[in-house]
Amino acid sequence: MIAGFLDISEGDIELDGQTIANVPAEKRNFGMVFQGYALFPHMSVRDNIGYALSVRKRPAAEIKARVDEMLELVRLQKFADRKPGQLSGGQQQRVALARALCFAPPVLLLDEPLGALDKKLRVEVQEQLKDIHHRIGTTFIYVTHDQEEALSMSDRIVIMHDGAIEQVGTPNELYERPVNQFTASFLGKSNFVQQNGKICALRPEKIDLRVGSGHKDARLSGTVRSITYFGSMQRVIVDAANGTEIEVDIDVWRNRETLTQGDVVDLLWTDEAAVELKTA
Amino acid sequence: MPLLTRHIHPGWLIIAPLLVLVVTLYLGPILNILWLSVTDPEPGLGNYAQLGESDALIRIIWTTVRICIITTVFSVVLGYSIAYAMVHCHQRQKNYMLTLLLVAFWISILVRTFSWLMLLGRRGLVNVALEDIGLIVEPIAFMRNELGVLIGMVHYMIPYAVLPLLVSMQSLDTRVMDASRNLGASGVQTFWRIYLPMTTPGLVASTLLVFILSLGFYVTPAILGGGKVLMVAEYISVQLLVTLQWGTAAMLAALMLFGVLAMLWMMSRFMKLSTVFGGSTR
Amino acid sequence: MLGRQFMKETLQDSAHAYKEGRMDRRTFLALCGASGVAMSAVMAGDAQAAADHVVMWNWGGQSEECHGSAIGDPFTEATGMGLRFDTSGPLEGKIKEMVDSGNVTADVADADLFNAVSLGVTGHLEPIDYSVVSKDKTLPGFALEHGVSVILYGYAFVYDTEAFGDNPPQNWADFFDTEKFPGMRSLYKWANGSLEAALMADGVPGDALYPLDMDRALAKIKSIKDDSLYWGSGSEAHSMVVNGEVSLGMVWQNRGRNIENDTDGRFKLVNNQAMAMPGAYIVPKGNPAGAAAMQFIATAQEVSAQLSLLDCLGMTPSNPEAFDQIPEDQQPYAITSAMNIDKIVYNDPVWWGENGGAAVNAFLDAIS
Repeated sequence: MIAGFLDISEGDIELDGQTIANVPAEKRNFGMVFQGYALFPHMSVRDNIGYALSVRKRPAAEIKARVDEMLELVRLQKFADRKPGQLSGGQQQRVALARALCFAPPVLLLDEPLGALDKKLRVEVQEQLKDIHHRIGTTFIYVTHDQEEALSMSDRIVIMHDGAIEQVGTPNELYERPVNQFTASFLGKSNFVQQNGKICALRPEKIDLRVGSGHKDARLSGTVRSITYFGSMQRVIVDAANGTEIEVDIDVWRNRETLTQGDVVDLLWTDEAAVELKTA
Repeated sequence: MPLLTRHIHPGWLIIAPLLVLVVTLYLGPILNILWLSVTDPEPGLGNYAQLGESDALIRIIWTTVRICIITTVFSVVLGYSIAYAMVHCHQRQKNYMLTLLLVAFWISILVRTFSWLMLLGRRGLVNVALEDIGLIVEPIAFMRNELGVLIGMVHYMIPYAVLPLLVSMQSLDTRVMDASRNLGASGVQTFWRIYLPMTTPGLVASTLLVFILSLGFYVTPAILGGGKVLMVAEYISVQLLVTLQWGTAAMLAALMLFGVLAMLWMMSRFMKLSTVFGGSTR
Repeated sequence: MLGRQFMKETLQDSAHAYKEGRMDRRTFLALCGASGVAMSAVMAGDAQAAADHVVMWNWGGQSEECHGSAIGDPFTEATGMGLRFDTSGPLEGKIKEMVDSGNVTADVADADLFNAVSLGVTGHLEPIDYSVVSKDKTLPGFALEHGVSVILYGYAFVYDTEAFGDNPPQNWADFFDTEKFPGMRSLYKWANGSLEAALMADGVPGDALYPLDMDRALAKIKSIKDDSLYWGSGSEAHSMVVNGEVSLGMVWQNRGRNIENDTDGRFKLVNNQAMAMPGAYIVPKGNPAGAAAMQFIATAQEVSAQLSLLDCLGMTPSNPEAFDQIPEDQQPYAITSAMNIDKIVYNDPVWWGENGGAAVNAFLDAIS
């Protein structure tokens, strides 16, 4: 919708105060990096990147200069004459980025741009994307279903659910102070507990777990149902005495006590750890 | 035996009977034709020398090539529009169009040829109607001439032109077109610079298919041409069945065979044939 | 290819010899082995040679029924042998192919007499046995070494009475006169008849046509090329007239009646200067039923069979004895009937047999 491929049924889209809802896709001047990149397979990398300028009938010299600039930005100078089919996934991704940025759009849309890459490569490309973003300063709108990616990549996140905005804020704000259950459970894991008669979101890593029962300040007690080892931490699911199920992340290095299934445990946390939700 | 299997993959042994069968049944007759073209009526290249001596043969070949080229151009251009419409309309309309296309495909060439006579003949539906409403005084000569042959052949060839194009268009990644629009290209620019180049393999396949099939056309030119449009296939048949000049017939057949092979070879210099015939583009 | 034929004949002779005890089994098997043929195959082929039926190779359609009733029935009655059909059309090339391949499956082919000349020279036909077949039961000159004319057909023309009713075209000269008789006309595509008509139109007398003056004929053909269509089959000739595509149409004269009926009399047949074509029965070399084929041809020559073919197929008798017995309502459409016989000209099968191939190609070149 933002790029103009789908019509909007309700509301409006504005850019710098001007409505763009009725502007056709090719006139919106939004850069876009497509899922799967949608590179032109029959054109060289150079022609792919220069396409936006070439359809605008810019002089050849200008196009060449700008494409060279873009190739340098994404560090693909050596591949200028290859066809997209001859590049790796990460390289194709960079071509798609350079192509979308070549005509200096005020806004760049990235639609799950890293979806096709494997985990390791994804992290690498994420770093490159951030680096490029800082160097050119264009607004990136980054659509993703990967919460971690959303947190690590962005300055500002909009969380949407069923077409409505749930919450807007910096990654830190969203993670530390979610306003509702959707946001709280969408970004990272959350337990929901009653505190002072209100529902609060409680992150698993903010809970202290002690073996045995009767600890001072224990907020809940329960028995360990399962333990999953993740390397840097282990996730423990506790069946609490009040009938709820609480997830606790334990730092393996700092908590060397061996914990086994069926152990009776107490759960502790500070008041600030539990965030009161404004809405359900 | 171990020596043999070292050089020949055992899989070949499994398909060997089939291979022998194909070679005998397929290459055998072709070699027979080639042999006939240099031995009948007497050994030598006399049959091929006719090409230099006989204006008639050259004219027939030229007529054939000319008609085939025109037929191919029209069939492929019309086929392209039809395939494009089919890919871009709703599924239901698309099924409807595909059914119509296949029905046309299945109707015998004789029936289709005679239908054109009924429709566009001197006293056909169209001429009678035009005369009745006073638009024309004399019937328009649509049929029994080269125009008639072209109409009949283009009509027959359109389904052949559409099918490879349809396959090629359906397998396109439509996001690529979105990308082009997003980068500021108009619909027309997107078509010429992205859509058309990306459907080129289908276009080439369709062109080759239609042209090669057209070369062998016999019934349609014979009937719709009114006897005045003589193409190679009909001429070969006359030489085989009526005048008994089998050497000439074999020579022309060999010439067509080599012509088609030369065309494929030239095409292979510009693009990978495997992509044209449905292979992967990578 | 002749080698194969020779081998087959050798083997069949050997098979006879073996059965009659003139050749021992080992020699016979060795012969079969040398030629790569299973013994059973030769024996089976031989069994077929002693078949109890004759295979007639004709053009399908109505002719299957008509040949059956006119010739097949009396033949079966006389000899006890049945009649079967191959309706794929015995074009000259197909006969040559069948004989060359060594797998002859037909006994009598319904062909043209000029085929008997061209295929006879090249050894693809059995000679006609004139001790069984009668030379008197056909027109003089139409009983040749490798074929005998059994029926006649002809090239005549029909014209549109609505266009030319007051002053109808009388002859080939009128047919070729596009000023006096404007409109499209149709001619036969494979030269036969068309060339003769052109020469007659150009003033050559009907009894002095041969050898054909090709240049003169083709020049005349070309002079009306823009006003001409060319047909390749009887049904095509028929539809060109009936669908109103032509005002003057050369047709096979036996189609005249159908055309007159189908156009409700609007088109009328002209038999003046019609050219009689000898349709002939010929026997492919090495035919399976052997001498029975001659018996079959002789049966077809009988007056009753001849009249029956006229009635059923519209093919005119070639046996002069039958001419007087042509029923009155058939006379306008029978080329040798009393009312037509003095107006017609005769095709020369020998000229066509010897020059046909070149003539057809020259004609095709001229019209295309």
